Amino acid sequence: MRRIGIAFAAVLAMILGFAAPASAQLRVDVTQGNVQPMPIAIPNFAAPQPSDAAAGQNIAGVVRADLQRSGLFKSLDPKSFVDHITNINAPPTYANWRVINAQGLVTGQVQMQSDGRLRVDFRLWDVYGESQMLGLQYFTTPENWRRISHMISDAIYERITGEKGYFDTRIVFISESGPALARKKRLAVMDEDGANPIFLTRGDYMVLTPRFNPSAQIIAYMSYISGKPRVYLFDLESGRQQMLGDFPEMTFSPRFSPDGNKVAMTLEKNGNSDIYVMDLRTHGVVRLTTDPAIDTAPSFSPDASKIAFESDRGGSQQIYVMNADGSDQHRISFDAGRNGTPVWSPRGDLIAFSNQSGDSFHIGVMRTDGSGARIISNGWEDEGPTWAPNGRVLMFSRTLRGGHGSQIWSIDVTGRNEQRVQTPGDASDPAWSPLIQ
Amino acid sequence: MSRSQIQTRNRISQATDAGDWPWIAAWIGALSLHLAIVVATLFTWSHRLDIVDESAPVVPVDLVTIAPKTNIIATARPAPKVQPDVTPVQAPTPPVAQPITPPQEDTEPPPVDTAPSEPLIKAPPPPPVPKLKPQPQPDKPKSTADSINALLNNVLATPSAPQNAKAANRTTKGFGAQTAMTADIQDALRSMIRPCWSPQVGAPNAADLVVDFDISLNPDGSVAQAPQLTGQSASMVASNAYTRAAADAARRAIMECAPYKLPANQYGTWRAFTFHFDPRQMMDQ
Repeated sequence: MRRIGIAFAAVLAMILGFAAPASAQLRVDVTQGNVQPMPIAIPNFAAPQPSDAAAGQNIAGVVRADLQRSGLFKSLDPKSFVDHITNINAPPTYANWRVINAQGLVTGQVQMQSDGRLRVDFRLWDVYGESQMLGLQYFTTPENWRRISHMISDAIYERITGEKGYFDTRIVFISESGPALARKKRLAVMDEDGANPIFLTRGDYMVLTPRFNPSAQIIAYMSYISGKPRVYLFDLESGRQQMLGDFPEMTFSPRFSPDGNKVAMTLEKNGNSDIYVMDLRTHGVVRLTTDPAIDTAPSFSPDASKIAFESDRGGSQQIYVMNADGSDQHRISFDAGRNGTPVWSPRGDLIAFSNQSGDSFHIGVMRTDGSGARIISNGWEDEGPTWAPNGRVLMFSRTLRGGHGSQIWSIDVTGRNEQRVQTPGDASDPAWSPLIQ
Repeated sequence: MSRSQIQTRNRISQATDAGDWPWIAAWIGALSLHLAIVVATLFTWSHRLDIVDESAPVVPVDLVTIAPKTNIIATARPAPKVQPDVTPVQAPTPPVAQPITPPQEDTEPPPVDTAPSEPLIKAPPPPPVPKLKPQPQPDKPKSTADSINALLNNVLATPSAPQNAKAANRTTKGFGAQTAMTADIQDALRSMIRPCWSPQVGAPNAADLVVDFDISLNPDGSVAQAPQLTGQSASMVASNAYTRAAADAARRAIMECAPYKLPANQYGTWRAFTFHFDPRQMMDQ
């Protein structure tokens, strides 16, 4: 009996001893990397007709600048290229692009059609994977070459990062000029990269807090046209503007609902500021807050179920959240300093805000329940955040110390890639449009 | 101090002021029993610890202790290839990828740039569009890419093993094949892939970025065949753009960092393995 037991134990030991290593494949857990911009090569787009060469050069230049500006790509200098793309319908010689450490390659071609339209093709190649990642084709009128460039940038950005791009968008902002005591503030709009700036008002009246509607065609803003601050709507296509509602009191701080059918704003009555929502179809107005404190700066969540706002009902300016019908109002910001101008991310995961600590103002982000608040900007006076439509990047106003003007800056939600946005002169109060339809 | 804390303190004070001897005896008894339990625990626990040390591999502790002293040979990124090490260029063949997607629609943006016409409130015609000129940027860093690299490398930098390091003789056990040799191979592969791996850490859900790849290597450390996605990530790639991008980034890292310089006499250990890419520690999630 004892021998049988020993034999059984020996067999068991063999099974345990040999079977385990045979079934266990080596696994290597990689939890740390080296986050850096992805090197990408974008040669000038080929042009079978010499007359189209300039367009090919211009489009590639805009795409290079877009991707470089995002901070997630490093556009390689065309002077470093050792290969020359002549036929975008043939696979590139990948080794020639690995030599310059390019991980991605964009090849493209422009060709004027007989009907006067411009045809633009491009392909995105994975240099190390030796495969095509994307191939798209566009037709447009020649003067729209910049938009095509931004759309190509968006397509590349989305394929590489997994999220929508934001290059084919516009920025509405307040252009500032003149001496400090007689500052002229004009409503202006420009492309996301600062190109094509247009002034929408002449500057006879002060304008503030412009906001795009979801179609990027209507701008809500506050102006002193009638002597009192009132909310106006400006139709970009027709150039018409109209006062929103006929309130005897002050209205300010407007912001559209995600579907564009409503505008939340602040209405001051007898010295008490509260938040109201107006339905643009029926012009019906609903009051959402009744607190005697100052309630302002409403911002809808992407699903329109909640509204974030700022209030000093607790003694200092802080951020609160309520349901869209005004119920369940509760404070979410408890960190040091004052917190205001909450803006809900289009992605729904974060709320951007302005924080005042001591004599400096910064841009921060927090989760929608107020947790995980962190400051991401580094200026002396940074205020008024606005989200890119993909919820990945923010723009904001930066006032320089000593009254040396105001600028618009952008920053990644991670706090990286802080950089100035080009504007014609001083600028403030930016609002980012959705992707243009 | 809150009202409830003051009430609690008063109750404790009343109890000790009573001064009953039975209470004191009860306290002494309780203390003695607690002391006895602590002594007994120390004695029996230490005995059990000895048994564990002899019978089971204390795997995690060994790995953590050894890691800083594991003199892995390759921690730096392989030097960039100066000469393309590929076969001569073949004659162009038709594109292997899918054809260019037909245009969805003509791109004709609305005429936003036109001047406003007949505004309700007399809006002046827009003045001439000023041309943007590059303006001095006193606060702008030298280069965006440079500054990001510097920032991130500072954050993520860890000391690399010295070049002249030698592997130590050890008898500890590790994961995988449960040998120290396996741990060394894992460390080596981890340190080699790290400089090449740049995941998109801004995704809303970090779990979407976790991907596994099965790798097969040739004896010279080159990749024998295209890395294969495995596990849950393989099924997620088709439906989740973030996972797809994460898989692309991981695949680029695997290919870019090849060939992997590993001990030839241990080829059996590393000829096939799984890379598990998980960037969640790099994010605030």
